Amino acid sequence: MTEAALAVTQSLVEEFTECYLKSLGGTIEKRGDTWEVAIPDNEDTELPAGSLSLLCDADRDEDATGESLHPESEFFQRILREATERRPTGNLSIEADRDDVEIPQWIKEGDVEVIEAQFTPYYDRTAIVVLFEVSIETVSEYQQEFLRAIAIDHRSEQRLPALEETFLQMMSITTNDSPTTTQSSLSETDARSLLNTAQDQLMNSIQNEIEEVHNEASRAADAEVEEYRQLQQQRIQELEEERSKLSLKIDELSEAINGSDQNDRVEALKKRKEAKGEYEEVDSELGVLHEQRDQGFPQKQEEIRKRHALDIRVTPLTVTQVEYERGEIDIELVEQGVSRTVTLGYGSGIGTTDTVQCSSCDSVLSVENPLNTIKDSLRCRACSTSND
Amino acid sequence: MGSYDLVDVEVTHESADDLLDSLSEDGAEEDHLQSIQAVRLQAGQPDSELRSLKELDENSVKLLEHQVDAAYRALFEMDGKALLADEVGLGKTIEVGMILKEMHFRETDESVLILTPAQLAKQWQAELREKFGLEFVCNYDDEFEDFDAHDYIIASIDTAKSERHRQTVLDRDWDVLVLDEAHYVKNEETDRYDLIDRLSYNYAFFLTATPIQNELTDLYNVVSLLRPGLFGTRDVFHQYFVNSNQETLVNRDELQDRLNKVMIRNRREDTDIDFTDRTIDTRTFNPTPKERELYQAVSDYVKGAYSQDQGQKLVLMLLQKEVVSSPVALKETIEKRLYEQSELTHADELESILDLIEEIDTVTKQERLLDIVEEVRDTVEMGRVIVFTQFRATQRQVLDRLASEGYTVHAFHGGHSSSEKEQIVEDFEEEGGILVSTDAMSEGRNLQFCNLLVNLDLPWNPMRVEQRIGRVHRIGQKRDVFVFNMALKDTVEEYVLERLYHKIDLFQQSVGELSSILSRLEESGTSFEDQIFDRLVNAGSEVDLENDFDAMAVDLQEQRELADKLEEFNNGVFEGFDLGESDD
Repeated sequence: MTEAALAVTQSLVEEFTECYLKSLGGTIEKRGDTWEVAIPDNEDTELPAGSLSLLCDADRDEDATGESLHPESEFFQRILREATERRPTGNLSIEADRDDVEIPQWIKEGDVEVIEAQFTPYYDRTAIVVLFEVSIETVSEYQQEFLRAIAIDHRSEQRLPALEETFLQMMSITTNDSPTTTQSSLSETDARSLLNTAQDQLMNSIQNEIEEVHNEASRAADAEVEEYRQLQQQRIQELEEERSKLSLKIDELSEAINGSDQNDRVEALKKRKEAKGEYEEVDSELGVLHEQRDQGFPQKQEEIRKRHALDIRVTPLTVTQVEYERGEIDIELVEQGVSRTVTLGYGSGIGTTDTVQCSSCDSVLSVENPLNTIKDSLRCRACSTSND
Repeated sequence: MGSYDLVDVEVTHESADDLLDSLSEDGAEEDHLQSIQAVRLQAGQPDSELRSLKELDENSVKLLEHQVDAAYRALFEMDGKALLADEVGLGKTIEVGMILKEMHFRETDESVLILTPAQLAKQWQAELREKFGLEFVCNYDDEFEDFDAHDYIIASIDTAKSERHRQTVLDRDWDVLVLDEAHYVKNEETDRYDLIDRLSYNYAFFLTATPIQNELTDLYNVVSLLRPGLFGTRDVFHQYFVNSNQETLVNRDELQDRLNKVMIRNRREDTDIDFTDRTIDTRTFNPTPKERELYQAVSDYVKGAYSQDQGQKLVLMLLQKEVVSSPVALKETIEKRLYEQSELTHADELESILDLIEEIDTVTKQERLLDIVEEVRDTVEMGRVIVFTQFRATQRQVLDRLASEGYTVHAFHGGHSSSEKEQIVEDFEEEGGILVSTDAMSEGRNLQFCNLLVNLDLPWNPMRVEQRIGRVHRIGQKRDVFVFNMALKDTVEEYVLERLYHKIDLFQQSVGELSSILSRLEESGTSFEDQIFDRLVNAGSEVDLENDFDAMAVDLQEQRELADKLEEFNNGVFEGFDLGESDD
């Protein structure tokens, strides 16, 4: 699944900042690495109105005055925060360019030439694309955060992975041909229902990633439990040694009591009492430890495993209603004088929706096993190669 | 993998109320596009470039692609906890220098502790200063007070773990810990391991060329220090990855996947480093009759004395080595024995050896050394030649002799302070001439500005020989390297050279290859030197001796095969750590 986060390079930072400031009605005059910016009084922004110098060069002169503009600069972080909050929901229309349809990979990878392809839209359809931030946290692993796009068709509530790709491509930062977004017409009820479906699909799609962290955290917890168990075993050994020493001491003192005079006897009795006291203390601690050990230190285990537990947070950050068209494409193919037209279900932004099988072996045509010939019928590469 | 209980997973879905509220709000058309772009930028890694690179002075340090790649991955893909396990000679110090420079640039390095073997501390300090402009105080500096008095410290790991400093080191929360030669902490029962285990730090970079010294447990221990729990418990690790006889690996793919999260290993063959050629010129000379007589007398004495008292082995071995280095080295040891030990047996024999020493007026090796330096003085830059000897007495005499012939000479030995050593190397670079050094030079110092080296005498430990050569033949050496070996005919040195070193192709082995052979020998408890000595003193005749050395060469070949097996094992574990495959 495609990661929706963008690698933040200086050039993206500059492009985004330029678009954003212009959208606020600002003007920018570039003088090398220094931008002289004028921001008008605008209720959509908390940036102070007036002029400002932005310094794009990280190695700038110490004496230069103005705000730095780089991926971690305060100014850039501030406009990012502001922009994310401005309009997290909206609408995007994907209109198909009828002559520029996307040819399926199983044809592109194959050996047959495409003469023409034309899309005929029949219905307008709606989907939503949600950007989710997922954070997975546990004590033993670094916190993992990622951003994922999930597209769900409004009518069928099916996931549309191809639309996710198209959406991310269209919504990337580029200076030319930015798509136009408008206000969404989705009702809150519909949006909530689709969002819930998207959430379920998201959880399915990140299952492997979660499982990996889950296993690692569990192993780390296990290692810690084992370490604790060894430490306690060591303590048990120490206490057992101490107990046998005390036991020996008590025996010796008992003998001394029998064979000595009054004064010494009293002294020995005192000492024996002390030793017995210590013995009982050690014995009782040992008893507790033995019991805990036999049960496998349940409390400690629970405490450790609880600490290593995974905390997964899923936050929907944006919802985009996407309007697209569904219909059919006719693809005209030609091979050594033989031509044939293939008609397939198609959607703008989602590509072909039908699969095609090899007429000889019935296997589905794919990138790995593409179309090889259309002479008699549509046949895959595997069949054509084996018949050669 | 293995059996362990899974910990709980708690999933929280944050409320979407605010988000859905915005459905009914008005706004400008392009605002939604910008919100999405901003969310995507916010989630992106904040600038994954090494921004400090352009600040580096290209004249001071030439960065290689694999080094930049390693620094980048350690910082950005491993979140600042990495085991840098490149093969020897690929510049792990440079990688750490880049990492520290970048952290400095990003101001995430308020306190940095670099722990190294004692003999490398000053070299680290110099490299970081010269190549990266990073100032560290070293525990051998006069200004060093304690581990809580400075923010950027390079220290010997043994100083850090000493009674005096340990608590201060442990009391501090370090931003960055660098541990050089991390395999020294492979044993979990040592004080060193305990120190690292208890240290508190945010980022850590461990360096070693040989993560697996003996068995996979070594790797488990080192990795567990960096990323506790990555491999689970020791038992589970063993059960899962190693079959019972330690010979083969199981579940290799998973081991690699896990290692990939914490370890970077570049192999020489995968890098674009172009090592220059190495030419070996071994010259054996006929000793003068007097020298031969002396050699025979010493050998007989050593043999006789050893057969009576094996407790004297070390000193006898020393005599056997000194006799081929120089009579003056031998003389010092014998005099010491004669005049400092009252109950010495065979004192008369030693006295007569002293007489033989007195009779020697021509020291063949030193005369021939003059031939060599004269022969090459015009062909190497500033006439720079390094002459290695094992003995201070030989060193002094050679220095006097060369100086009397008008050569510019420099002496380097273990008796100098660290700053003196720095100065000597600097003088040698600037003034040229001949540097006569003991093996104190062999540890870590880089002398790439020189490309001609003479082994006046040969250590019986091949690793020492390679360490000598490694001082000049490493990254940064732009010229071909010439190594002259000097030996006297029909002496132990000739046997070692001809029968052993040449047979295992010692002089063409890379440090990495050789160290794997020798670390096997060392771990098995058989010292290479002991083996040579035993054969020397136990041989009944000349023919026996030759046969014995041949037999040893066969043993060595076997060790080499075993080492190859170990290498294969290492490669098995580390397969997939090549350059280029890491980005998958």
